[in-house]
Amino acid sequence: MVDLELEIKRLIVDSLKLEDIRPEDIDSLEPLFVEGLGLDSIDALELGIALRKRFGIKIDSATDNVKKHFFNVQSLAVFVHSQKAE
Amino acid sequence: MTASPGFHACAVVPSHDHWRVVGAVVAALRAEGLPVFVVDDGSAEPARTVLAALHDPAGGVTVHRLAVNQGKGAAVMEGFRLARAAGFTHAVQVDADGQHDLAAVPRLLALARRHPHAVVTGRPVYDDSIPTGRAIGRWITHVWVWVETLSFRLRDTMCGFRVYPLAPVDSLLATGVAVGRRMDFDTEIMVRLFWRGTPVAELPVRVTYPPDNTSNFDTLRDNLRISWMHTRLVFTMLARLPSILANRPPPLDIPPPKGPSHWAGLGERGLYWGLRFCAAAYRLFGRRGCMAVLAPIVLYFYLTGTEQRRVSRAFLARAFAAKGIARAPGWWDGYRHFLSFAGRALDTFAAWTGGMDAGTVEPAEVDALRVAEASAQGAVFIVAHVGNVDLSRALLDDAARRRLLVLVHTRHAENYNRVLREFNPEAAVNTFQVTEIGPDTAIALKERVEQGAWVVIAGDRTPVVVGGGAAGGRVSAVPFLGEPAPFSQGPYILASLLECPVYLLFCRRDGDRHRLYAERLAERIELPRQRRADALAAYAAAFASSLERHTLADPFQWYNFFDFWASGPTGDP
Repeated sequence: MVDLELEIKRLIVDSLKLEDIRPEDIDSLEPLFVEGLGLDSIDALELGIALRKRFGIKIDSATDNVKKHFFNVQSLAVFVHSQKAE
Repeated sequence: MTASPGFHACAVVPSHDHWRVVGAVVAALRAEGLPVFVVDDGSAEPARTVLAALHDPAGGVTVHRLAVNQGKGAAVMEGFRLARAAGFTHAVQVDADGQHDLAAVPRLLALARRHPHAVVTGRPVYDDSIPTGRAIGRWITHVWVWVETLSFRLRDTMCGFRVYPLAPVDSLLATGVAVGRRMDFDTEIMVRLFWRGTPVAELPVRVTYPPDNTSNFDTLRDNLRISWMHTRLVFTMLARLPSILANRPPPLDIPPPKGPSHWAGLGERGLYWGLRFCAAAYRLFGRRGCMAVLAPIVLYFYLTGTEQRRVSRAFLARAFAAKGIARAPGWWDGYRHFLSFAGRALDTFAAWTGGMDAGTVEPAEVDALRVAEASAQGAVFIVAHVGNVDLSRALLDDAARRRLLVLVHTRHAENYNRVLREFNPEAAVNTFQVTEIGPDTAIALKERVEQGAWVVIAGDRTPVVVGGGAAGGRVSAVPFLGEPAPFSQGPYILASLLECPVYLLFCRRDGDRHRLYAERLAERIELPRQRRADALAAYAAAFASSLERHTLADPFQWYNFFDFWASGPTGDP
């Protein structure tokens, strides 16, 4: 799971072109959006697309709680992991 | 966004026997970073157990149980006491039944940060799920509240989706006044706070009545309770008139809420029956005959549709000025505009009921469209409410038609699609319902585009849900007919994610025919992080300039019957 979290951090930095941040600077528990890492709503969309490209994730708008999954790196890792398991 | 000094917000969720979605509500509030106080208002099983299980002080969720059911107002006030004792300055009140659109929470909080002394209240924009009885009841309450506050400033006092500043609430309750403890609470506390000088800021929010919702609203007893509350408030108001007038809070400096003139609220009165009638008449009388029959009906709508009439006139005045027409639009011009709108509906019907052959749509500038057709790759088509772009389908072959995926705002399109489907099931194109674009919708659309879909999205409607943590709410103010107007950034943000070519598509009536215009906006839209806002504004400006060209070619084919320029240039609601 720690590896997956690091991979997601790299993906965040690469796909969003965060020039001043290194993957290891991101705390798995800090909120990604608004406070914490300070990403915005467009970043959320780009990250979603990047996650799909890398991990092939799908989100069912009707049943998945998008906000919850995208809360921090840890919640994203749990979500990606659960999709891989299927 | 950092919290202003002295601004510490939490959420208060009262629940009486609501348990199905309360977990999701609490999780969403936690995702916004808000500590949550759930007040279990004497719930029975299974709600009691479900609510108790949410208690997780380390995780920021406190569940407090009132042993005996005391009513919503009492539960909320209990929550406020807990919040204040824990050091919070503001509390977001959210219903436990999931009827509030939690995506609006960041906007409510942002407004509260700017006006920390005000009550920030959601002003509901209902979807069609509100029961009629409740809708009428709400309207009666609005009128009472206007009388009680001697002000039209409080426009919806019944919405329980608010941010309260806890200090004025505390001092109000400390006076020992008995604020309604049940369903009368939401209105009464706001009126009383207003009397004491607390200003009110409103934000349009979406409210849904979930289908399996068991409301705790007891029609007879709660309506009696509410009537009694109004009686009480009116007499108090009369008795304390001078002090209430003296304390009236100044209006807040916020952009005017755009609810009433925003298209989603207009409800497209009578459209369904009107359109059914036209379709039948068209088969009998042809277009000219139909327009003759329609004229008095359109006149009725023209005379009664004050809001639409006003925005039509205002628009025509701009268009005339931009076209260099010296005279101001008169009564007849407005009526002609309405007639043109009816004619548009008629044409669409005719197209799909076989009354119009494909030859009535002529390719005017379609090279770009042919390029898109030849490519297996998907594309984004940005369209506008000018002319009749629906008819452009007549020029597409079946294969191309099947590639269309039209993004719709459900409620608006509903009547229309219902009628269309009735006449011709094939007329109903693939639609994709979206009110805001989140990672989930982006991923789904990306998949469709990779399969070759043509995503059709309107570029000239500002999103209903503004801000709300999704890209749907962003706008760029770019020049349009001589003045900056807010254009949604959604289409360009979406196109950048979908990594496909972007086209603009217009179709205008010209005499007895329609002419189709397609142009390529960009092969790819790129939004470099550093200059995103500029890039978005440039694309919006390119669209606006093309829209202006087609609008000025015939202003009467402009069908945005809401105040296009008034929605505020900054993207704030």
